[in-house]
Amino acid sequence: MKLYAILLFLFFINSVFSWKKDEFRNCNQTPFCKRARSRKPGACSLIATDVSISDGDLTAKLIPKDKVQENLDNQEIPIVKPLVLAISAYQDGVLRLKIDEDQSLSPRKKRFEVPDVIVPEFLNKKLWLQKLKSEKSEDGLGILSVIYLSDGYEGVIRHDPFEVFVRESGKNGKKVLSLNSNGLFDFEQLREKKEENEDWEERFRSHTDTRPYGPQSISFDVAFYDADFVYGIPEHATSLALKPTRGPGVEDSEPYRLFNLDVFEYIADSPFGLYGSIPFMISHGKSRGSSGFFWLNAAEMQIDVLGTGWNDEFSSVLMLPSDQKRVDTLWMSEAGVVDAFFFVGPGPKDVVRQYASVTGTPAMPQLFAIAYHQCRWNYRDEEDVYNVDAKFDEHDIPYDVLWLDIEHTDGKRYFTWDRLLFPNPEEMQKKLAAKGRHMVTIVDPHIKRDESYYIHKEASQKGYYVRDATGKDFDGWCWPGSSSYLDVANPEIRSWWAEKFSYENYVGSTPSLYIWNDMNEPSVFNGPEVSMPRDALHHDDVEHRELHNAYGYYFHMATSDGLVKRGDGKDRPFVLSRAIFPGSQRYGAIWTGDNSAEWDHLRVSVPMVLTLGLTGISFSGADVGGFFGNPDTELLVRWYQVGAYYPFFRGHAHHDTKRREPWLFGERNTQLMREAIHTRYMFLPYFYTLFREANMSGVPVVRPLWMEFPDDEQTFSNDEAFLVGNSLLVQGIYTEKAKHISVYLPGDQSWYDVRTGTAYKGGVTHKLEASEDSVPAFQRAGTILPRKDRFRRSSTQMENDPYTLVIALNSSQAAEGWLYVDDGKSFEFQRGAYIHRHFIYSDGKLSSYSNMASAGFGKFASECMVERIILLGFSPGTKKALIEPANEKMDIELGPLLLQGGLGSSVLTIRKPNVRVTDDWTIKIL
Amino acid sequence: MMKLRLGRVALLFCVMLMYGISRSASVPSKDTLLGVAPEDEKYYKGWSSSGTIKCKDGSKKFSKSQFNDDFCDCPDGSDEPGTSACPNGKFYCKNAGHVPLFLYSSRVNDGLCDCCDGSDEYDGKIRCPNTCWEAGKVARDKLQKKITTYKEGVIMRRREIEQAKLAIAREEAELSKLKDEEKILKGLVQQLKEHKEQIDKAEEKELLQKEKEELERKEHEESKLKESKAEDNTEIIGEPEKNDIYDKDALEDNHKTVGDPEISDHTNRVEQVKEDSLQDTEQKEGDFIVDGKAGPDTGNQEKHVLEDTESLSREELGRRVASRWTGEMTEQQSKEVDTSKDNDPQNHEEKLEDSHDEEYNGYDSEDVEQRYDDDDDREDQMEECGEEDHDDSSSSYKPESDDESHLSDITSINSQTWLEKLRQTARTIFQTVNIFQTPVDISDVARVRKEYDESSSKLSKIQSRISSLTQKLKYDFGMEKEFYPFYGQCFETKQNKYVYKICPFKQATQMEGHSTTRLGSWEKFEESYGIMLFSNGDHCWNGPDRSLKIKLRCGLKNEVTDIGEPSRCEYVALLSTPAVCVEDKLKELEVKLGMMNKELPQGHDEL
Repeated sequence: MKLYAILLFLFFINSVFSWKKDEFRNCNQTPFCKRARSRKPGACSLIATDVSISDGDLTAKLIPKDKVQENLDNQEIPIVKPLVLAISAYQDGVLRLKIDEDQSLSPRKKRFEVPDVIVPEFLNKKLWLQKLKSEKSEDGLGILSVIYLSDGYEGVIRHDPFEVFVRESGKNGKKVLSLNSNGLFDFEQLREKKEENEDWEERFRSHTDTRPYGPQSISFDVAFYDADFVYGIPEHATSLALKPTRGPGVEDSEPYRLFNLDVFEYIADSPFGLYGSIPFMISHGKSRGSSGFFWLNAAEMQIDVLGTGWNDEFSSVLMLPSDQKRVDTLWMSEAGVVDAFFFVGPGPKDVVRQYASVTGTPAMPQLFAIAYHQCRWNYRDEEDVYNVDAKFDEHDIPYDVLWLDIEHTDGKRYFTWDRLLFPNPEEMQKKLAAKGRHMVTIVDPHIKRDESYYIHKEASQKGYYVRDATGKDFDGWCWPGSSSYLDVANPEIRSWWAEKFSYENYVGSTPSLYIWNDMNEPSVFNGPEVSMPRDALHHDDVEHRELHNAYGYYFHMATSDGLVKRGDGKDRPFVLSRAIFPGSQRYGAIWTGDNSAEWDHLRVSVPMVLTLGLTGISFSGADVGGFFGNPDTELLVRWYQVGAYYPFFRGHAHHDTKRREPWLFGERNTQLMREAIHTRYMFLPYFYTLFREANMSGVPVVRPLWMEFPDDEQTFSNDEAFLVGNSLLVQGIYTEKAKHISVYLPGDQSWYDVRTGTAYKGGVTHKLEASEDSVPAFQRAGTILPRKDRFRRSSTQMENDPYTLVIALNSSQAAEGWLYVDDGKSFEFQRGAYIHRHFIYSDGKLSSYSNMASAGFGKFASECMVERIILLGFSPGTKKALIEPANEKMDIELGPLLLQGGLGSSVLTIRKPNVRVTDDWTIKIL
Repeated sequence: MMKLRLGRVALLFCVMLMYGISRSASVPSKDTLLGVAPEDEKYYKGWSSSGTIKCKDGSKKFSKSQFNDDFCDCPDGSDEPGTSACPNGKFYCKNAGHVPLFLYSSRVNDGLCDCCDGSDEYDGKIRCPNTCWEAGKVARDKLQKKITTYKEGVIMRRREIEQAKLAIAREEAELSKLKDEEKILKGLVQQLKEHKEQIDKAEEKELLQKEKEELERKEHEESKLKESKAEDNTEIIGEPEKNDIYDKDALEDNHKTVGDPEISDHTNRVEQVKEDSLQDTEQKEGDFIVDGKAGPDTGNQEKHVLEDTESLSREELGRRVASRWTGEMTEQQSKEVDTSKDNDPQNHEEKLEDSHDEEYNGYDSEDVEQRYDDDDDREDQMEECGEEDHDDSSSSYKPESDDESHLSDITSINSQTWLEKLRQTARTIFQTVNIFQTPVDISDVARVRKEYDESSSKLSKIQSRISSLTQKLKYDFGMEKEFYPFYGQCFETKQNKYVYKICPFKQATQMEGHSTTRLGSWEKFEESYGIMLFSNGDHCWNGPDRSLKIKLRCGLKNEVTDIGEPSRCEYVALLSTPAVCVEDKLKELEVKLGMMNKELPQGHDEL
């Protein structure tokens, strides 16, 4: 009786708090993490010798100070082999530090360096270092070797104790970033077993990791100077400003874990690792600005953010500047090498640009991809697809993409169709395409082990699968049951995989079909931590532990390449991935995985998307409505209102949930969700312009407030509001039945409510009434927003629709904004086939200039007119406008700010100025 | 007449001409009331003296030049009926030859042909052929077909309603008659009971007397034997007790006790029984939480599911983890949990009701049929049902045998006779049997007893019939009792591997081989008898209780089609039935067809 009661109780607990915490290793169960965390500051005894310049790099050797390291715990054999260090400088303030074993001493194995992440152009930006400057350290006790990094910044290596840092130029230049200032650097070199019976195996639950190469972890501390907060290192469901994980007053916490995992029902505030890993951290502080640190390493990583005072008891042994505010961090990785990048900033946008110069800027998506996506596990059959499609039209709700999850396949064999449910997939796609709509099917990396399945047959014959520790094709369990996993770390296998997407090979695909890569962490249901064993073997005998976090990235890359090939290089690919690694931004969108239909998941989606944006992944979003569970109607509506501003905007649901298409909750809620989706379509021109900006500069579409207001301390930890570009501030509503909502509006300029046109003062927290109609959104004074106010079935039909420009004047009666337009589909924009307009309002006139960087060969033409110009912040007496060059006088009248919604606020409007977006023109306000 | 016709042709020609013009021009002429419905034409001609018209919502004014000028001036879109400028606007297409249509203004010049006359695409970017005649013909034919169905359906419905009303009246009459009879019979039974009791008393007295004599006679003899018999007595006392346990045991675990040859020894058996009964209670306690069937077994399974994944084989582990997302594996478990519902009080009630039902059935199908098998009404009823029951391929319409017999009418004309007979017999008994006479006449006693038994069993049967009728008549059979024929009927349809069985006023199930899943119990009609709702079906793992919504459509036979599961465990289906072929709708359809025919360009044939 008791037993049953307990079991039942457990069952209950399980179904309520379903996160299977025990299935995942914590730091204490992870030997390298436990070891690294227990090291004391100053424990590192390495010194740099043989510091010189060679091949344009600064090189050095790291050896223990006393040659033979004293071992307190008596467990490690003293390592006397020197490590090789190289520091290079790149344009735009990027310092690269590499530390590896000395290859000339023939180590047991070449340690893994992650290929195909750094963009080739970056390598061309290397500064060929010529000379080295030696100087005495400030305390006079050590020698520093100094190199030029960029104007105003220098790279420095301190010889004893070894430390690498970036400082502002000059002997007493302030430190910006440093490595090993706390003496926590440790590098476990590969070695033979000390004794026969030395046990290298690691066991976790029922799994054993053979660890044939023994311990090989690396750890070190990184300090960010003049920083108030650090950000980045996704993917975690947690706040934007990273909370300390150790230090005085910090509750015992796990480090931030970077290990791509398929976490069932993750919880909304935790440092545990999710689906993606980007070891890139940004610091920001009021006094100096931003800096960044990136460690290119694909093994499991754990990162501690150390709270101020964490090392107080060791302050005597450390030589840290006391006059600079600092955030210390500890970085630990299971394997690989040190390949680290220091970004000097000093502005937040500088740091993301510098990071993007290494890993690439986000790909330019097609226009349809940034519109609304409708997904569900699963739209059952063709009839279901047609019904849902028709209902959107019936309710006048636009959407661009309908998605098919795993059930569309024949027995989870990707590239196949369940012909009972989808007898005519081409016809289905064509019917939707006729309305300008697209479809997406899912293709995962696990391949059903079925001899009659052509992909499996080929892959097993060619030896294209990841092997287990014994050398056999690894066999794991996923959706199809027994499955093997493609070794996408191998470029040959990637290009084979890419061919599978051709129209001939993917039977039933058409040009309007795009792809979704799920489960690419990889998810292995019966593997350790629901993933692949670390001792599994890839191409070139690389162990899975060494590249785990990049596996999904390579898969995403191969799929994206496949779509490019499919379209003869003329059609921009769209591939959504769940796993992430630095560089993923070049291959498509990502989403935050299997979230839950709960208010705190809506809340945490904002810092998650902001963090991804900061670390290069601009095109991201969370499942609107929450994947698991049934959202309350109010939550669903709010999610649409916030989600309409996510860069990637998709509604999705688990197959156990009730249907939740926007028209299923009564007329009023249909209207609210329609308006939310309309808002997205209205701002599509602005979003598209921002995606192009991200594509050019790496600056994300959706930004934390401090990115645009780096001096406003109040914004530094604000992650409930966010900026879309520089012009639009959105404040989410994350609670049920909210009556009021507090919004902090940064800066000293006003903000205009996008629905009412009401002006609110900047630099103030406003307590506003919460409206069920929308979440608060404001246009920043001094900006010009392009809109399209006609709502069509999909973005495709909006192509020729006229624009509305909304000018919001700042206190000096000026404003500016941009508009980017191209064909929305092809790569022609790379050859100059686009228009990029810069609208400037000053001295009483609005002018449209071309913002083309250089005249390309391509040409893009648009017939689009500007149908309406709305003037916010103008004196009410404004009556007339003169349009040049047409030399036409127009009346300025009162018109609605928004056509939808019927709020009836009238604002100054220039009606039909009849100017084309492609042309240069000027409108004088008289 | 001829003139009129000519005029029409000319008008049509004009329309076509204008149409041609408007198509070639990129912006339509202001004078054409593009996108304006005929009933609104007057409104758009009402320019004020200042040359303006108010927006329909009264919020603003617009001038002639602002009408259809591709800029939205009225928030309600009333200045732009012919363009896409206002998101709230509506575009009217005439669709001559077919039905006129209002479009969202967002469909105007969006590159997609929405109006069959192509009038929504006039900016020259796409050519939309006029398909109204063909589409209209298809639509009219379809409508005509629908009307034909309705016409026949209306007649069928009327007939069914009449029959239903008769049947209900009959049942109500029966009910009231039964109630009367019940009253009489109750009295009779009471009298007989008293009679019987008196007889019993007399008999007892007689018996006592006899015993006394006997006792006296055998007293000394017995006292001699007494001591030697003592042991046997305990044996006898022990026996029924054992049997009791044995029976209980047999219920729980036939296998162990029944036919176990080893259980012969007395003590052995007691032990065994003890063990079993212990296990029994244990099991029951377990059941209460987990499962009625599998007791400890389920417990084990549960334990696995609950986490201890360490000892699992790789494959099991994979399945187990996969099942978190899919729920597939655990479905088994949940099914078992479902059966445990028997333990919750509500289900107990249901169960009781069910067995109650069975009692009725037993009554109806055996006793009543046997006793009143000359009952004509019943056969008639059967025939009526048979008439409609022309079996078709996928869907069948079956009277459910057990419930069907409810329809049989036990109150036939001869009911009067049997009651009368009974009364008469009773009267004779009361007259002839002298209960005060001792010794009582043996044959009299038997007669009284027999009569009492018969009448009281008849009474209880009548009472149960009353309760079943009362229950039936309580159901909502629709405004005109049009759903009365559904009572006791089941509709079956096969879809892929499943057979769905839908029994209105009772329940709906899904069968796959031998396993049956309850999709729901009858709840009610919804949307003014447009939908039948079954709810509280078997629970879904990680989901809701199953439910089924059946939309009703006019059709000539009762036929279930299009069963689907748009959300997990929320089923929908379509039932075509004459029961919803209402006259008003028929009239509406006829008017619509009339309109469509009127819209036809009269001269089409000539053209």
